[in-house]
Amino acid sequence: MIRPRVLARARKVHKVPFVELYAGRLQGVVSSGSDEDRVYVSYFEAGTGNFYCSTNNNRPCGGMRNSPCKHLAELMGEAVLQFSAARVIAYLGLAAEPDKVRGGGELLRYIKGGAHKVEAGMVFSRFLTYLQYVNVAPTAAPLPEMAWFVR
Amino acid sequence: MPIADLRTVPEALAPAAELLGRLDEAFETGFGRLSSANLEALVSLGRSFHGTPIAGDLEAALAGLGRSEFLDRHFAALAVARSAVLGAMSDALVAQASAALGRPRPELEAIAPGPAQEPPPKLAVLLESVRHWLMELAIAGFANLEVGALLPFQSTLDAIMAEPALARHAALLSGFLGELLTVFPTRGKPEIPRQRWVDLWARAMVLSLAPPAATPTRAVHGELRILATDLRQHDNLAQLVVFGVFVEAGKPARVVRTGVAAFKVDVLQGDDLGGLLGEIGGKLLGALVTGQALKIDGMLLTPAGDLVWQEARATLLPAKPKLAEEAGVLAKAALRPGHDPADRHPALIEELVWLPGDAYALAGKEGRTLTIGGQPFPLALERVPVSEDLNLGDLAGSKGMVAALRFDAGQWSLQPLAIDVGKPLAKMVGTSLAAARGKAKDGNLTTLKERAGKLLRKKA
Repeated sequence: MIRPRVLARARKVHKVPFVELYAGRLQGVVSSGSDEDRVYVSYFEAGTGNFYCSTNNNRPCGGMRNSPCKHLAELMGEAVLQFSAARVIAYLGLAAEPDKVRGGGELLRYIKGGAHKVEAGMVFSRFLTYLQYVNVAPTAAPLPEMAWFVR
Repeated sequence: MPIADLRTVPEALAPAAELLGRLDEAFETGFGRLSSANLEALVSLGRSFHGTPIAGDLEAALAGLGRSEFLDRHFAALAVARSAVLGAMSDALVAQASAALGRPRPELEAIAPGPAQEPPPKLAVLLESVRHWLMELAIAGFANLEVGALLPFQSTLDAIMAEPALARHAALLSGFLGELLTVFPTRGKPEIPRQRWVDLWARAMVLSLAPPAATPTRAVHGELRILATDLRQHDNLAQLVVFGVFVEAGKPARVVRTGVAAFKVDVLQGDDLGGLLGEIGGKLLGALVTGQALKIDGMLLTPAGDLVWQEARATLLPAKPKLAEEAGVLAKAALRPGHDPADRHPALIEELVWLPGDAYALAGKEGRTLTIGGQPFPLALERVPVSEDLNLGDLAGSKGMVAALRFDAGQWSLQPLAIDVGKPLAKMVGTSLAAARGKAKDGNLTTLKERAGKLLRKKA
C-alpha cells in the first residue's frame, strides 16, 4: 500500500503554484515577490545540475547569475515538501543523504551545473496540462477501484 | 462475539494466495526475461484452471508467452485468470464474514438491463492503447521500468479522462501511473509493491477488454439515512463514498452506497476537496454536516447497491436519524452494497458492522489496538484518512461505531467509519467539507487558476 504523502506543512501555492518532476527536470512556476502580475518559470536539470529562471516572456531573472536565484530556491523548497527529499535527490541525481536533509535550501549546494536557458513556454504548457485535471467533469459513477487508493 | 471468528481465514485461501504470489513474481521480472521459476508458476496456474471455461484461452496464452509471443490477448487471458482466482477468494471471504456475523450473504438486486447501446468507436481504440501500454509494462517487468516508457501514456490518459464513459478507467489509470512515476526514476533497486501493482495492472487489463456496457439501473424513491463515509484519493482524484440506510415505500429497509468524485491535482487536499466535491454533491455534504436524512426522488440504483448521486433528485429532510437506531439494518439486510461478479476482489470487500460501545475496548500503545470480547482484533489503521473529522482518538469512551470489515495482507481488520461519541452528530469523514466549500474562493484552486491566468495574459 502506497499512501499519498502527508505534507509537513501546506504547500505555498501562491508563491509556487506549480512544481513537478518531469522529463528529467525539476520544474515549475514561481510568483514574483515584488510584482503581483509577474511569474517566473524555473527548472533544475537532472544529472547535469543545470538550472534557469526566466519570466514567462523568456526574460532572464535578474537574481540568477552563476548560482540559483531565490525563485529557484523556493522551487526546490516546495519540491522537497511536495515530493520528499529522497525523491528529489534520486530524481536529480544529487550526492546528498536524504535522511539528513530538512529542507530544500540544503540541496542547493549539491547543484553543480550552471545557468542554461530553456524555453519558458515548455514549462508553462505543462502547467496548463496539469490544470486540465481540475477541469475534468466530476463524476458520481461508482468507482470500485478507488478502494485501492486510501488514506 | 462472533466477529472474533474472523481472526482466522478459510483454509482454501492460502494455496490460492500462494499460486498468485508466484505468478506475480513474473510481473516483477518481466515477461521478456522469465526465469525457470516464473515459467513453472505459469504452468501451475494453467494446471489449476483445467476443466474450466477459460482453460483453453489460458493454455494458449501460457504456451504463447512461453515462446515470447507478446500479444495483448495472452496478457488479457492471464489477467482474467488471476481475477477469477481473486473473485473466488472474495466469495469465500464474504461467505465466512456473513456466517460469523450471523447475517445473510449480500445479494445483487435483479434489475433488467436497458436496451443495449453501441459504444462510440473511439472508446475501443483508447482501450486498445491501454492494453498495449499494460502489455509493455508486463514485458519489461515492474522492476525494470523507465520513465521514458511511462510518460507517453499520459496523452492516452488525457483522452480517457475526457470520456465520461471511461471514468473508472481514468480513476484507476491516473492513480496507477502516478504511483509508477513516484517510484521511477530510482537509484539502486526500487521497492516494488508487487502484489498491489499486479492487482492494479490486472484490474486495468480486465476493464479494458471491451468498452463498458451500461449498468442496469432502476429509478428509486425513498429516504436515505447516512450511516458512514469513507474518503478515497490519489493525487488526481478524490472520492467521498457514503453508505446509508435506504427506505422505499412498501419494502424492507436496505443498505446502499453512493459517492461523488472529482479529478484534481496533487496540491489540492483537505479543505480544497470541499469546493471540488461540493460542485457535484453539495446536498450530500450538507446532510453530513447537519445529520439530516435525504429524500431521494428518482435517482438511479444499480444491482450492486450503488445509488448514482444526482443533486437535482435529492432534498434535505428535517429528520435527523440516530446512528445506533439505523445501524440495526446492517445485520439484517441481504440487499447491501456489493460488487458486480466481474469486480469481486478481496481488497474491495467492505462489509459494514455496527459495534455498540460495550462490545469493544481499546488496548495497546496509545489505544491503537482493538479488543473485541477480550481478544485483540486488528484495526485497519492505514485506511483511516488523515482528517480532523474522524480520529482514532474518538474511539475512547465512544458509544458505538460503524466499521468496515476489510481484508488485507491475509487477515481481516476493522476500519472505523463512523463513531458515535454521544453527541447528536457522529464523527465521520466529510463532515467538515460543507464548511470548507464556503472557503473555496480563498483556496488553492482559485490561486492556481489566477496564476495560470496571469501567465496566459502575459503570453498573449
